[in-house]
Amino acid sequence: MEFEWTEPDAQFRKDLQDFLGENLPASWEQIAHHGPGADQTADFSRSFCAKLAERGWLTQSWPAEYGGEDASPWRHAIVSEEMWQRGEPRGSQYMNVNWIGPTIMEYGSEEQKRDHLSRISRGDVLWCQGFSEPEAGSDLASLRTRAWREGDDYVVDGTKIWTSYVNGAEYCFLLVRTDPESKGGRGITVLLAPMDAPGIVVREIPAVIGERYFHELFFDRARIPAHCRLGAEGEGWGVVRYALAYERVGAARYARAARTLDSLAAHAREQGLFDDSAVQEKLGAALTLVEAARILTYRVIDLRARGSAPTADTNLARIAGTLCENAVSDLAVELLGTEALAYGHAAEAYFRMAMTAGVAVGTTEMNLDLVAGRQLGLPRS
Amino acid sequence: MDFELDADQRAIVEAVDALLVRHAGARRAAELAQSGGYDHALDDALEASGFAQVARGEETGLLEAVLITEAIARSAGVVSAGAALIVAPALCAEPLPGPIALAERGDARPLRFAAQARSLLLAEGDEARWIAIEDGSAEPVDNRFALPMGRWRSALPEGQPLGAGSGERMRAHWRLALAAELLGYMEAALDLTVGYLKERHQFGRPIGSFQAVQHRLALCSVLVEGTRWLSYEAAAKGADPQACTTAAAHAADSARQLFRETHQLSGAMGFTREHDLHVWSMRLPLLRVELGGASQHRRSLARERWGGAPKPGGGT
Ligand SMILES: Cc1cc2nc3c(=O)[nH]c(=O)nc-3n(C[C@H](O)[C@H](O)[C@H](O)COP(=O)(O)OP(=O)(O)OC[C@H]3O[C@@H](n4cnc5c(N)ncnc54)[C@H](O)[C@@H]3O)c2cc1C
Repeated sequence: MEFEWTEPDAQFRKDLQDFLGENLPASWEQIAHHGPGADQTADFSRSFCAKLAERGWLTQSWPAEYGGEDASPWRHAIVSEEMWQRGEPRGSQYMNVNWIGPTIMEYGSEEQKRDHLSRISRGDVLWCQGFSEPEAGSDLASLRTRAWREGDDYVVDGTKIWTSYVNGAEYCFLLVRTDPESKGGRGITVLLAPMDAPGIVVREIPAVIGERYFHELFFDRARIPAHCRLGAEGEGWGVVRYALAYERVGAARYARAARTLDSLAAHAREQGLFDDSAVQEKLGAALTLVEAARILTYRVIDLRARGSAPTADTNLARIAGTLCENAVSDLAVELLGTEALAYGHAAEAYFRMAMTAGVAVGTTEMNLDLVAGRQLGLPRS
Repeated sequence: MDFELDADQRAIVEAVDALLVRHAGARRAAELAQSGGYDHALDDALEASGFAQVARGEETGLLEAVLITEAIARSAGVVSAGAALIVAPALCAEPLPGPIALAERGDARPLRFAAQARSLLLAEGDEARWIAIEDGSAEPVDNRFALPMGRWRSALPEGQPLGAGSGERMRAHWRLALAAELLGYMEAALDLTVGYLKERHQFGRPIGSFQAVQHRLALCSVLVEGTRWLSYEAAAKGADPQACTTAAAHAADSARQLFRETHQLSGAMGFTREHDLHVWSMRLPLLRVELGGASQHRRSLARERWGGAPKPGGGT
């Protein structure tokens, strides 16, 4: 065992920090406050990701044949930590790099790889994720959005919901059911759907967590060219599982929790509260959870670095991440009081983002189910 | 001991509920949350029908005030009910101009209802003060927590002292008011969530039929009912300080859990403005930190119980 960063990795983190110091303007904090789905954030991500791409850092974990550097998953983890700590200046493009690109590499046609991977790696394209439906949330495999072939197109009919990052998105990674007789995972197909296809209508769903977090996408006999299908018709569930295995370790949410906790400790010091043993105990308790989330995430990265198939460790890491975010945002409110609830305060933005940790990207309960089944071998109810 | 409401109390609760159906409710609260507004019309209606003054009544008192405050919270009323119905009557014989805000001296953080308040009750050591507030004394603080907050623009006038012992009396009643309001919010948030999970199907059955979900909702119910009876007991005991602190400590800690669980179990729907959960749930973080939050309530409670004479001021 070895729990140290290699010299080159440590150097890379330093270089990345310097880069962020130079390329995140003073106004970034204010931009980030609008939330990850806001226009300002989407706009910012374009120029920022282009700069990252120039340095070769946007897709360095990708294989060399797709313009990456075959960098280890540990590099990927460093990028994720540094970005999340600063409120994820890549905006929605972290999805492109983390799982949309890799899934296209695995399942895409030569044409799809050519069209999509080069744009993703230049940082000049935005995507959104069309999985959830009004009646298919936790039970994603029950999705019903229909698609059938008519000539060279798929005609898509149905509704997607909770879609984030819709503004500016050119493509939607869309799940549809192509076999109307099928149930569950079978009969699902993935379409890399252009958002300007006729028949797609977008509605924002106003949310307390921030602007433009959620949208509903209505597909009213929308026509998506058949060449946009990713993988074989009816085989989409395998594609989704592949994508989700990448998605779920994607975000180093604990890194933002750690940074928030640092600022809470600094606040406690300034206010003369740090010597209060009860305050120390709370800070220590929250830090323990942050560290547990970090180490469990590293465990997943280690498995990936060895090329192992995904295990329940991924689910453990996600759950630990949610526990740490809940603890840190609770503590922020307890230490700062109503100050932490004033719009514009960094702790307030953190609070709203952390609220969704146990729901977004697969709920805690679904992760617990997988731990119970895969890790503990408990029988299904 | 008798845990049943008597006929008069039942009639009061029914009457206030009937008024609230007309004048309050989730939709109205959601609109006010968007605009940052205060429900003056609801205050007027409560005043006109006499509910605002029950604590000063001849036949009614603190318990009735708690029941009405809870009902107002359950209907998501955007009014300073706890301060008006529970706290002010314990300090002043005559009604104060409302809305009423509550604060501790030296706390410069955003304050519930500061921008609307015409009266401020200020706890300072062993004494409380009443300060008449001029229009525009506070600037509104934009927030997503479903109640208006504000911050004083400049130092406030000295105001009028309310006598020795008024500080402790104010804190006890303030804690009781917090418990009663949190109770109403928690009940409503839990009811809504339980109802939603009975209806919402996943995996071919109502989500509420999964035992893992049921147990968590049942635990929430334990917390709500504990808060309920501790609050009623504290009111019935005339706002006995230790009983009020117990109720507030239980309420504040339960509020943290109820906030997490109702949101977690409502899924993405619970984060929208189209689902009503937020009008109650988002107030929970706001109230659970008032007056130092659970951490201060617990410390006070330990001192009240085992620490000999309470420290003047009751703070840390
Ligand atoms: C911030 C945010 C961003 C999102 N972005 C996107 C996006 O871009 N694209 C997209 O497709 N989706 C997105 N989602 C949707 C997300 O994937 C779903 O919210 C999630 O899958 C849960 O579905 P649901 O909200 O319908 O909850 P439901 O399925 O209604 O579940 C409600 C609650 O019940 C629990 N539950 C359900 N079944 C069981 C059971 N058997 N046992 C125990 N508990 C159970 C759930 O875990 C949850 O806590 C986003 C969600 C959030 C919060």
